[in-house]
Amino acid sequence: MLSTIAIESLKRRKTSAILTLLSITISISLLLCVDIIRTQVKTSFTRTVSGVDLIVGAPSGQLNLLLSSVFNIGTPTKGIEYKSIAALQSNKQVSWLIPLSLGDTHRGFRVVGTTNSFFDHFKYGDMQSLEMAAGSAFTQPLSTVVGAEIATSLGYKVGDEIIISHGLGNVSFNNHDAHPFTISGILKKTGTPVDKAVYVTLQGLEEAHTRPKHSPTSMLGRKPADKAKEHEHEHEHEHEHEHDEHTEEHAAYHSEAFTPESVSVVMLGLKHRVTALQLQYQINQSKKEPLMAILPGMALAELWQIMGNVESLLLGLSGLIVICALIGLATMLLATMRERYQEIAVLRTIGAGPFTLLLLIQIEAMLLTIVSAALSFGLVAGLMSALKPWLSSTYGLFLSSPLFGQSSVIIILLILGCTYLVSLFPAVAAYRRGLHAGLNAN
Amino acid sequence: MNTINKNNSTHSQRNAVSEEHNAVNKERNTAIEVSNLQFSYTKESPPIIDIKAWQVSQGEHVFLSGPSGSGKSTLLNLLCGTLTPTQGDIALLEQPFSSLSNRQRDKFRACHIGVVFQQFNLIPYLSVAQNIHAAVYFAGTKPSKKTEDAKLHHLLDKLQLPSHVLHAKADALSIGQQQRVAIARALINDPQLLIVDEPTSALDTDARDSFMSLLKDVAGESTMVFVSHDKAMESYFDRHCSMSELSPSTNHIKTRGAEAPKAQERA
Repeated sequence: MLSTIAIESLKRRKTSAILTLLSITISISLLLCVDIIRTQVKTSFTRTVSGVDLIVGAPSGQLNLLLSSVFNIGTPTKGIEYKSIAALQSNKQVSWLIPLSLGDTHRGFRVVGTTNSFFDHFKYGDMQSLEMAAGSAFTQPLSTVVGAEIATSLGYKVGDEIIISHGLGNVSFNNHDAHPFTISGILKKTGTPVDKAVYVTLQGLEEAHTRPKHSPTSMLGRKPADKAKEHEHEHEHEHEHEHDEHTEEHAAYHSEAFTPESVSVVMLGLKHRVTALQLQYQINQSKKEPLMAILPGMALAELWQIMGNVESLLLGLSGLIVICALIGLATMLLATMRERYQEIAVLRTIGAGPFTLLLLIQIEAMLLTIVSAALSFGLVAGLMSALKPWLSSTYGLFLSSPLFGQSSVIIILLILGCTYLVSLFPAVAAYRRGLHAGLNAN
Repeated sequence: MNTINKNNSTHSQRNAVSEEHNAVNKERNTAIEVSNLQFSYTKESPPIIDIKAWQVSQGEHVFLSGPSGSGKSTLLNLLCGTLTPTQGDIALLEQPFSSLSNRQRDKFRACHIGVVFQQFNLIPYLSVAQNIHAAVYFAGTKPSKKTEDAKLHHLLDKLQLPSHVLHAKADALSIGQQQRVAIARALINDPQLLIVDEPTSALDTDARDSFMSLLKDVAGESTMVFVSHDKAMESYFDRHCSMSELSPSTNHIKTRGAEAPKAQERA
């Protein structure tokens, strides 16, 4: 009966009820959006890299090293000489090593020079390995492997040639036209910055930077016979029966065998993770070449701490907006109480007690908030679904399921709690108003 | 001086009649018993109700009359518990009604008193059925759906209201229909006491007579206190009480309840 009275009463005052509903819906949606972005950014951050025990680069700063190596953001640090890389490789505690050379782009996407060890050892999320959606890892010095999003947005497929550009700008006039890279593989979607990076061989990258354009030896020191063989092979590529030969040749390519002059960053995997701190200390104290080693987990935590302040601010602002909307709800209920004194008095006359009246007003307020919350969930889910491609391409934010988590539920419960509190005022005001005065309100 | 003596004589005679009636009522169960009742809207103002003693027997239909502002609606509000006496006691159905808490009084009213207001006071956005069901629901009597429906249809028949009216919103009804629905709501819980506040003030003579016949019929054995300023209706009732007899000392005060200060309106 109470819910019938509450619903009929709201229907009677539908204009003010709809306006209040809209106001609360927008506020809750805003709060949910902020919460989703916050949790998704955090998830996105934490799943970016896993299994890497140390990241080594030139001394710059923990965050700069992390951002440039893992997130492909910011300016790469000064290079590390090969002798230092060799020393790390020969360290007994090191299980594997991924060299990364940064600083080039392809149509606005970061180009990362590396070796096949990247595809073998780099892990993301919950220790997930990189997988190829098509093709394979580097098969020859001018091979490139592109991230899933690049392949999708630029329409690339295995076998296409791409030109990389010097520098980090979206538009560069210094293209390495003479060294087109052939796409040997396309990575499966990871939901990390890997999706938005172009991976080339260290060998190819160094050649593109050191050899002049149209140089006769621009094919990375390979013998003319090799080049001729490759051209020949390219012609033969279309012939299916010779495909096996092609694969065999590519499989023979060992990108790790190349020794670059320097690289930007090195990712290390250790035999025993417990030695990470010890090795970090050793590297940081190295006197041969000043180096800096960071623990990715700690650097991520520091980065998230900085982000956390912004997040708290956003969450606080959204919370205030919700409180304003709820005060609006209380105001609406209080304002309508004036025209409902007679109705309240009649309900009291026919036996509704103070608790029943309190419950009636609160059911009305709760109904508005619950409907608003349901509308907000739908609105935010739709909005996020529509903005998903834009968020990933513009901000590198990969939305993963489920969108609404424990925090969303807590937010709704808190809002319902606040609704209960703010609706107490009109409910008490309704009961305190004289019964006699209410009955004679007409 | 002669006039004063005459008035004193009349009051003495009336008080003697009233005392005699009260003595008779003591032999029967008492539905309403008022003693030393005073009510004023503010502490400073003189009481507008001052009744030494007044009793109504169970099953008795009493007509309470008085000119506008004589305090008859105020007395009804005191009997309903929507106003609290400044002094004195009201016992209803042998319960100390005026000393009950607000909540107890609300509950007592819902279960034992049917009230038909001057303005009917139906909840406008609820249907007729919902208005009547609300009275059953809040009284907490919890009859079965079948019993409630049977009683409702019986009342509708008696009140000559067609069944389709049940689904109409209260504010879509004519005044006459609203009046009958208000009676149905007042009677749905089989109240022992029916308080009716000037429901015929907007009716012409024929409609009034028809309504009164209907009301008497549906009220049955319930005790009824009916308020009106129209003394012509006296013939429908067992007994007639005028406010000037009940509350002689305040008869000169012309204060309307609705216009009274709000300080003591809370009930």
